[in-house]
Amino acid sequence: MSALARFIDYFRGSGEYSVSVPPFDGALRPNERLETALELVQAPEPDNLVTLADGVVFSSADSLLRFELDAPAGAHTSAVPLHRLPSTVTALAARDEALAIGLEQGGIVILGGRHDGATISALDGVAINCPTALAFEDADTLLLANGSASHPPSRWKSDLLDGGSSGTVARIDLGTRRTARLAAGLAYPLGLLPLADGGLLVAESWRHRLIRLDVSGKISRVLENLPAYPGRLAPCREGGAWLALFAPRRRLVEFVLREPAYRQRMMTEIPSEYWIAPTLRPMASFLEPLQGGMLKQLARLKPWAPSRSYGLAVRLDAKFRPAESFHSRADGCRHGVRSVLEVSAGLLAASAGADAIVIVPRPEEH
Amino acid sequence: MSTILELRRVTKQYRGVAAIANVDFALRTGEVHAIVGENGAGKSTMTKIMAGVTTPSGGEVLFDGKPVSFATPRAALNAGVAMVFQENSLVPSMTVAQNVFLGDEKFFNRMRGVYIAAQQLMGSLNFGVDPWATVATLGAAKKQMVEIARAVRQQARVIIFDEPTASLTPEEIQLFFALIERLKRRGVSIIFISHAIEEALTIADRITVMRDGAVITCEESAKLDRESIIRAMVGRSLSTALYSKEDASARPIGPQILSVQDLSMGNAVRNNSFSIYGGQITGMFGLIGSGRTETAKIIAGVLKRRFFHGGEVLYQGKPVRYGIPRGAIQDGIVYVTEDRKLEGFFGSMSIAQNLQVAQLAANRPVLFVRMNAAKDLARQWIEQLQIRAIDGDAHVTELSGGNQQKVVIARSLVQKPKLVIFDEPTRGVDVGAIAEIHALIRRLADEGLGILLISSYLPEVLNLSDRILVSQRGRIVEEFNAADADEESIMYAAVH
Repeated sequence: MSALARFIDYFRGSGEYSVSVPPFDGALRPNERLETALELVQAPEPDNLVTLADGVVFSSADSLLRFELDAPAGAHTSAVPLHRLPSTVTALAARDEALAIGLEQGGIVILGGRHDGATISALDGVAINCPTALAFEDADTLLLANGSASHPPSRWKSDLLDGGSSGTVARIDLGTRRTARLAAGLAYPLGLLPLADGGLLVAESWRHRLIRLDVSGKISRVLENLPAYPGRLAPCREGGAWLALFAPRRRLVEFVLREPAYRQRMMTEIPSEYWIAPTLRPMASFLEPLQGGMLKQLARLKPWAPSRSYGLAVRLDAKFRPAESFHSRADGCRHGVRSVLEVSAGLLAASAGADAIVIVPRPEEH
Repeated sequence: MSTILELRRVTKQYRGVAAIANVDFALRTGEVHAIVGENGAGKSTMTKIMAGVTTPSGGEVLFDGKPVSFATPRAALNAGVAMVFQENSLVPSMTVAQNVFLGDEKFFNRMRGVYIAAQQLMGSLNFGVDPWATVATLGAAKKQMVEIARAVRQQARVIIFDEPTASLTPEEIQLFFALIERLKRRGVSIIFISHAIEEALTIADRITVMRDGAVITCEESAKLDRESIIRAMVGRSLSTALYSKEDASARPIGPQILSVQDLSMGNAVRNNSFSIYGGQITGMFGLIGSGRTETAKIIAGVLKRRFFHGGEVLYQGKPVRYGIPRGAIQDGIVYVTEDRKLEGFFGSMSIAQNLQVAQLAANRPVLFVRMNAAKDLARQWIEQLQIRAIDGDAHVTELSGGNQQKVVIARSLVQKPKLVIFDEPTRGVDVGAIAEIHALIRRLADEGLGILLISSYLPEVLNLSDRILVSQRGRIVEEFNAADADEESIMYAAVH
């Protein structure tokens, strides 16, 4: 009966074969808080926000830049170059004076601190080809998420469309260079957050969920069926965490993900920017695929249109349930929020779609 | 101005209880006369006597100054009195044209001519209704238009409209008012029963207020205002702030009870997604045709979603797909219909039987039913919802619109639901009953039930809801917190 039910589900696209996507509502109710946030810094495709000393460091392409947070609210500030790396920076973690940097070309570089200059290029003999997230557990221990065994970070769309689930999370002892694999077979781990109890929170993008790795090695699901692809995690002062969701899940993409022949042909014949896949930037060309019609009226895109890009940052409470959210909707431009960071003045969000870092002030400062 | 239709000391009794008693009423030629009153005030009984639907127990009816006794609606129509009913009296399986000409067919009926005439009639009335469409496929507003067209075609000298605007959009109401003006200019006298006092004040020349089966006042509308009408209607000081927010703070969000994901059905529902939370009233506003009712009916198993890729409905975290409403009812989902006469109750059964049938649907099949238990059940719910009926043996059709609605709600509540979907719960219900139904909905939410309130009346949505979803073209396009919402922004989202 179960096999028959599965066959019927497969036939009609329901149950586990459904391509439906959960709605943005409840704590994820759409708003304009990200779209109307103050712009702090302009930089091409900013990512990887971390605090270092009194400033904020972020990556933009192959550079690390730094800016101070003492600029008056509402004023633009300028970022100064800190380091230049041999390829695009794909992951970043900071502790004291040390920066751990993941690179598009593969491997990790440590700059500053007592392990200054150290490079790590493999885990148990397997190359680190897709460093997507880094976090310091302590001054000598680094946690690493390697998103995919087959694609570099810049080809994340290919990994999604190939149904990638070859991601790993590992612990690296920077002193001894010993590594321990904490989890494997993950579908693009993109966010890491060490927890006070020794556990680790991991954002698994292609499975739209957060999982928790216990000290004992047990893996438990914390938050599932998110309506967007979860990205980087950051600590929250009130407890819980901040989560950046870099692109929305859409029905059309879910459908394409279940059509291997179509998908392969699309990936072979069409430039990747026009694939039916999530993107980090709002639509710019009429050639781009749309889901359904009636999305534009008087040349204006509807805010509820099922766009391929979206801006979303979510505060998770102490139980890691969504508590509040910040949106830039289909008609906005602050899409592709890959990294968030809470600072004293509010929440910083790095938007690849707007090429800017914005700040959402704390509610009492509105 | 001469009097065309007059009632003198008319009385109507049902099983010894007077629905109206010693009523005097006069309708002048070419006037628009509004009749307002609470449910059970006797408005429908009085107008049914005028239209020959029912006969008076006492008193006299005069038409053109001559005593008449309309034994049937046909007799009244032949004399020139037509009635457009609140709950439509169309034949669902027939086309619009067939319904318009129903009862007037020639021996050799040429259907082509019937359709052309129907099309011309609809065109002259500015009604966008396809004469070839089957009535069952039409929404409530279009059915109402067919009813109106039928009365206009019969060239009645007196047309009685019973709650004609209840199912119309604001734009359609304006068109309807223009039609009334045109009929008035042609010398047709109009009786207009409405619970929308503002509409009565806008369109009527005179207003009669009824209460407890008697005429309380009859005045030129220019001499009346909303306050004085309500005072006369209810005979007590009812809060004038019926549609003002009682408590600005929304109820805290409870557990997610229902998640609708990309639900699709034909052109009516397109990729519709939203959630319902326990302990909250989720209002759903939208214009007629925005797919709200269809969405609700799919959730409740009344309609079926698209077979292929029709989306998902997750109830308490599990995917559900109900083939018939019974499955939904047994899981705790009930749907309180917008069309109570057609879908809400069994007209040929008593209140007790209606409640018992509803209770049976929620439980396992039984071999025997105990009528005493049904009567106890009816007694309990009549008291709890303050249904104005003689007893549980009263037929639902004998009740006024508001009390019928309470029976429909009671039928759902005996099923011990966890999620209640109210579809236009106060349509065709008077102000007193509206307040009672609103209080009931609030109470259910306070008890932790998930409530989905579908309403086309913005003040109602704003007043009751903790969060407001706006539906447009078959999908939810906007969500508001009750505290942030206002009429303008909701209507903008619904239209643009």
